[in-house]
Amino acid sequence: MQMRRFLSRYWLLFPALAFYGVFLVYPMIFSFIVSLYRWDGLSPAKVFIGLRNYVRFFSDPTSLLVLKNNLTWMAFMLSIPVALGLILAVILNEKIPGRTFFRAAFYSPTVLPLVAVGIIWSWIYNPTFGAVNSFFRIIGLPHLARNWLSDPGVALYSVILTGIWQGTGFPMLLFLAGLQTIPKELYEAADIDGATGLQKFFYITIPSLRETFVVVISLLMIGSLKVFDLIYVMTWGGPGNFTQVLSTWMYFNTFVYHKAGFGSAIAWITAATSLGVAYPYIRIMSRR
Amino acid sequence: MRRGYSNVSFFLLIFLTLLVLFPFAIVVLTSLRTQQDVVTRGVFAPPEFVTLQNFPDAWRMGRFSVYYKNSLSICLVKVPLGIFIAALAAYPLAKYRFQLRETLLAFFLLGLGIPVNVVLLPLTILLKKLYLLDNLWGLLFPYIVFGLPFQILVLRGFFRGIPDELVDAARIDGCTEFLVLLRVVLPLSVPAVLALFIMDFLATWNEFLMALIFIHSDKWKTVPLGMMYFQGQFASSYPIINAGVLLGILPVVVVYVLLQRYFVSGITAGALKE
Repeated sequence: MQMRRFLSRYWLLFPALAFYGVFLVYPMIFSFIVSLYRWDGLSPAKVFIGLRNYVRFFSDPTSLLVLKNNLTWMAFMLSIPVALGLILAVILNEKIPGRTFFRAAFYSPTVLPLVAVGIIWSWIYNPTFGAVNSFFRIIGLPHLARNWLSDPGVALYSVILTGIWQGTGFPMLLFLAGLQTIPKELYEAADIDGATGLQKFFYITIPSLRETFVVVISLLMIGSLKVFDLIYVMTWGGPGNFTQVLSTWMYFNTFVYHKAGFGSAIAWITAATSLGVAYPYIRIMSRR
Repeated sequence: MRRGYSNVSFFLLIFLTLLVLFPFAIVVLTSLRTQQDVVTRGVFAPPEFVTLQNFPDAWRMGRFSVYYKNSLSICLVKVPLGIFIAALAAYPLAKYRFQLRETLLAFFLLGLGIPVNVVLLPLTILLKKLYLLDNLWGLLFPYIVFGLPFQILVLRGFFRGIPDELVDAARIDGCTEFLVLLRVVLPLSVPAVLALFIMDFLATWNEFLMALIFIHSDKWKTVPLGMMYFQGQFASSYPIINAGVLLGILPVVVVYVLLQRYFVSGITAGALKE
């Protein structure tokens, strides 16, 4: 009887729990177990090697390059889109003409499929006919033209620029929402005290957005650890492995080179890091 | 705000807007020209003559009708089903008092930090066992599970704002919890549900990585996969490729332009205090 009452109230949770269990938790455990083996992902031959795949990741020069690339990506995403997003949010929080249009324009790249973004920018970076090199030739600086996506020195930064184009709207929107929660009285009081615009920005706006900053940084770090589509479409991790990031490296090892154990270790390193940086965000969200 | 500051920021704004819209302009311009025209006169030249021929060509050569059908089918099933499952779970998390509530919520939210990566190989093996690998409907399950964390978060936040009195009144009238959710809570949550519908449609339409791993046959490819292979095949037919990109993003652009005010509220709901 008690069981029936319990079920009639709590069955609502079961579909979601079942989906989580079967398609998320079980696969994660499975993936961790695979990461302890040397395995091609197909044959029955599996060799238990403990944590050797993890040790290998941190001693293999290519994997360390991959890690460095991904950290570079993250550093750019945490600086330029955050700074630009904040500046745009502050400007677009004022009652200026066309504000809705501007907001929509800056957010628009974010809603596109990343595959489309990758194809669009591959065309823009096209060495022979693309917009960037054509522009440099037209303004008389042809020596600046180069193979943006196949020159090892610039390829990563070219893709990062695409990431910035695509990824600035999201922090902007979060900052805009954060700005709207700051009481107007704070600014009015500062006006009476004769504060300048910059003073108000640094002493009222920034401190009031503390929680928004935590959320933005947390989400952008998670996003940076997930980046896959742009790299896959634009460079395939090349030239060499100069644009390889964690998720593409995991993909190539698991599904192309058939090193499922090593690939799973990469996936777990990524997931553990991602869960770590997601923690402050999850805490803020579940506290409410 | 003083005048001088305003002017500087307005010019900065215009400049940045032009930069952001520039790639769109290039794509549209390129798609309206002939290959010959683009290659000989350069990407910035005005079209010698405007042609719309690239769109039907791209549609046919890129087999977009197949990919559209697949993407629309998966969206039509995944989006309502996923949000329904999320609503079922979000309701007890918002309106019941029980000991494991916070733990359970944290457990669901952990999904926000889990990259798809880590389940790709196990899911490949699992879907294969279920005869769902390389099948459009195999995508349904992983798609739903990766949508749940954010949807549960947003819906729980919204449900909590609904007065307990309304819920209790329905219970006293003899509604089961499921009916309270269906008849009282959900009808009052239309804005949140609508925002989630739009966001989830965009996310599902755009998803690439799982489709890449789980789908191989051309007949089951979704639009992002289709665009990818289309670009691979016709890499140097620039106008056709750009027309294909526009075809691939058309539904997303239409939904965004028409419905953006609904979904902006959804994005921020998942990130800020109400």
